[in-house]
Amino acid sequence: MIRKRERLEIIHDILVAIKDKKETKPTHVLYKSNLSHQMLTEYINDLIKKEFIEEKLSKDGKKTYSLKQRGFDYLKDYESIKSFMESYGLDE
Amino acid sequence: MVLPYFSPGWFFGYDVTLELIFAVVLLLVVLFTHRVYKTTSQRSVQIFGIGITFMAAGYVIQSIFNFLTIHELNNNLTFLSKAQYYLIYQFFGTYSHILLMNVGLILILYMTFRIEDYKILAILLATSLISIFLSESPFYLFTLLATIYLIFISWYFIKNYMRNRNKKTLLVAIAFSFLLLANAHFVFSTNYPVFYALGHAIELVAYIFILWNFYLVRTYDKKKGKA
Repeated sequence: MIRKRERLEIIHDILVAIKDKKETKPTHVLYKSNLSHQMLTEYINDLIKKEFIEEKLSKDGKKTYSLKQRGFDYLKDYESIKSFMESYGLDE
Repeated sequence: MVLPYFSPGWFFGYDVTLELIFAVVLLLVVLFTHRVYKTTSQRSVQIFGIGITFMAAGYVIQSIFNFLTIHELNNNLTFLSKAQYYLIYQFFGTYSHILLMNVGLILILYMTFRIEDYKILAILLATSLISIFLSESPFYLFTLLATIYLIFISWYFIKNYMRNRNKKTLLVAIAFSFLLLANAHFVFSTNYPVFYALGHAIELVAYIFILWNFYLVRTYDKKKGKA
């Protein structure tokens, strides 16, 4: 049975996908995050709103994403946060 | 109506210190929970954080009023003055502590239910607070109710350990089981002051486990399989 990914883990996968390159294309994030287009759009909009990532236009006018400081902080603290949530059963 | 200060004479002051320690431990967890909530925006995290904030506040209030009670009892005052201060401090201290701890425990209990309906929370709060504050023995009723809440809360954390078997989940499960045991002792403290001291000692063990878990979480080793 395929385990359902938690929201925390999905955000982590998205941010890792974006962290890989300075300007990441949406298709790369879609491929790496293993989400549907609609789900990814929802998460991306939420992450932009929370200032984890920013959206830019590349030289050829295409949308790209890059990590902001809060996004880097999230990745740094991810294991602690995941561990804390697991300790108290908050990851269900 | 009996307003309690159940501490046996030899325990005077130790309860004040212990309650402050409990509050500090909980505040550390509160601060980190707030950070987790800012990152995840998860409702369960928010409710849990608010719950332990109320519990921490309950310990702070209890510590302050117990300190004031002991301070006044040790002052060179007439018996009548001492009795007046005792009644005032214990009245405010006891009721504030009961209110805050009750709300805190109910919020954590509500979090464990994993339901979205706030009506359930409202009913739990209303029925418990009304019954406690209208009771002839509010502290006794509060400790009974808190014991019941902690049975369900402890069971939740024990199930969490069974679901995710690792040291951190085990520490939390043990901690809340000790909190349940401590609270069961407080039930008897209205008649036997030694249980008040024992309850505090058991609570100290519980909060040591919570602190230990917090330390492991904050120093989580990034290699898989550790901690």
